[in-house]
Amino acid sequence: MIKIHCLSKHFGNIAAVCGISFEVKKGEVFGLLGENGAGKTTTLRMLATMLRPTSGTATMAGWDIVKEPQKVRSSIGILFGGETGLYDRLTCEENIAYFGELNDMSRAQIKERIKELAKVFNMEEYLTRRAGKLSKGMKQKVAFARAIVHDPKIMLLDEPTSGLDVSAIRDVHEFIASCRKEGKTVIFSSHSMSEVEKLCDRVGIIHKGNLVEVGNIDEIKSRYGNQSLEDIFIKLVGDRSER
Amino acid sequence: MNASKHVWIVFKKEVKDIVRDKKTLLTSIFVPMLLIPILSMLVGGSIEDLSRDINENVTIALTQESNTDEIRDIVENQIIKDYPNISLIDTDDPIKAINESKVRVVLDFEKDYASKLAEGKPFAIKLIYDKSQTKSQGSLGILWNAIGDYNDRIVKQRLDSLGVNPEILTPAMIEESNIANEEKTSGSILAVSLPMMLVVLMASGGIAAATDLVAGEKERNTFEPLLTTKPGRSSLLLGKYLAVTLFSFVSVVATMIGAIIGFVIDPSSMGMGVGTDITGFSIQPLAFFMVIVISITLGMTFSGLQIALSSYAKSFKEAQTYMSFLMIIVMIPAFATMLMQPNDIPVYMFLVPVMNTLSAFKIVLGGSINYAYLLMALGSSVVYVVITLCLAATLFKKENVILRS
Ligand SMILES: Nc1ncnc2c1ncn2[C@@H]1O[C@H](COP(=O)(O)OP(=O)(O)OP(=O)(O)O)[C@@H](O)[C@H]1O
Ligand SMILES: [Mg+2]
Repeated sequence: MIKIHCLSKHFGNIAAVCGISFEVKKGEVFGLLGENGAGKTTTLRMLATMLRPTSGTATMAGWDIVKEPQKVRSSIGILFGGETGLYDRLTCEENIAYFGELNDMSRAQIKERIKELAKVFNMEEYLTRRAGKLSKGMKQKVAFARAIVHDPKIMLLDEPTSGLDVSAIRDVHEFIASCRKEGKTVIFSSHSMSEVEKLCDRVGIIHKGNLVEVGNIDEIKSRYGNQSLEDIFIKLVGDRSER
Repeated sequence: MNASKHVWIVFKKEVKDIVRDKKTLLTSIFVPMLLIPILSMLVGGSIEDLSRDINENVTIALTQESNTDEIRDIVENQIIKDYPNISLIDTDDPIKAINESKVRVVLDFEKDYASKLAEGKPFAIKLIYDKSQTKSQGSLGILWNAIGDYNDRIVKQRLDSLGVNPEILTPAMIEESNIANEEKTSGSILAVSLPMMLVVLMASGGIAAATDLVAGEKERNTFEPLLTTKPGRSSLLLGKYLAVTLFSFVSVVATMIGAIIGFVIDPSSMGMGVGTDITGFSIQPLAFFMVIVISITLGMTFSGLQIALSSYAKSFKEAQTYMSFLMIIVMIPAFATMLMQPNDIPVYMFLVPVMNTLSAFKIVLGGSINYAYLLMALGSSVVYVVITLCLAATLFKKENVILRS
């Protein structure tokens, strides 16, 4: 579903991502682990076609991110950062419908889909209220609904739990689990080991723009003599830092 | 492709979004609507009051030495007889009265005026006034006229007594004939104020929308999700661009509506506005159509620039600063050409941005239409639309500009 091939991004002299390659299979939840400034956001932005790779490329659902960015965008849904990024002056319904329209859904389809999502996320009561007037938790649910309104095959989530309280974090985790249940392919970035262990099938550890380890969590653990993921992470990251 | 559909979707959403923002509505519709009525009331009203005041209630007095019965008689029954707006006041200290604005002008007759008058020699009347007081200075002319009339009357009497026809004093009579027709005169008043106001309004009308639609989106973190939706950046840009363009005209239309409402409610208060001048005013349809198109292109040029600035800005605040700069830059040509007469506009002005629109307006409203000039203005305006749109597109597609963080 996702094939990343020697993907690099340089900002002037800074090499934010240096030739990473990995694959994510259909229906898999892939965790991208890394410290601050490791290059997680940059990688996800390239996959979302917001940034153009300096070199290398990737295919998403069969589409090349450089050659067919529009096709790529119509097959992805995103949730970036702690901010929900809703339009405060539009109602929840309008926020969701806007993204549906932009992804070429018909009015009838959108209406049907919003009904469905409202039920799933339990937001029927505040659907017609302005997004700016809602609580953070409510907004987050609207952002989930907006991200999957066009039923994308791939979900890209960049540190979706950063800066959230416990119950909001649980909502995000449930959302990721439900995406997996629907057979969506998910990449999400995080610097929380427990969250990655709980949700992911496979992980990639990224450090200073390089992919230093990738594989099945159990596989990786056995390779490092059954240490905890955290110890492995520290070891890998520490190792590299010393050089 | 369905790129045009995407543009339309973005445009619709942006308009809806802006219309719901009370602050933006206030600045782009409400304030412009009140602009002309308020300006007219403040400026027009006070100018009118002042000129009425100067002409009415002209109070004069005589100096202590001149305050004799004979002089009072000359002043009251000869000099100001035909001037009901001038009144002679009794006062002990005329200079103090001027300072206190009780008296506008004080007259001082030469001591031996009576003998000189009888001998047919000139005598002096000194007019004492205060140049620092508008009303005092303004009344001076009225007294000049009154004393002039008095002189004429005495001359006529003297010539009559000599048996000479007073007409010999007027070998050549002057007759004036104004070749500017009604359209031209009323037009030139319009030509001064209307284009300038229009340009400033168009430049300001789109500011709130432009700031909000890119810099605002970046700041509120709504921009990144938008960039990951299907439409290409050009479609997003065009949708936003058209919304900003719409709003730069909304202000113009709001201003016009305000002017018309003001005129309907109180025609006299709109003396300096466009209201009174518009009545009985007509221009050629083709020329009118061309200036409309030229001004639309100017609106589009402003939108392009504003979107570019808003994209370039690192924050909402920074975008606002850039916009104020743009306003100042626009005001300069607007004021610089304000008093320029339609016939005196140098040809190159029809090629300079902003100036070309102002000049086109002036020649059309001033009634001296030149289609070659209008075409130059139109052509150059279109070029500026393309340039600014390209600039906006370039910045909008630059990832280090659009994803600053
Ligand atoms: N637009 C940009 N211009 C210049 N440098 C950038 C830009 N975006 C990111 N970088 C740099 O690239 C590197 C990787 O940043 P990135 O945001 O991808 O890291 P991250 O893994 O998401 O970190 P965090 O956990 O802090 O979000 C950093 O050194 C960062 O300073
Ligand atoms: Mg990040």
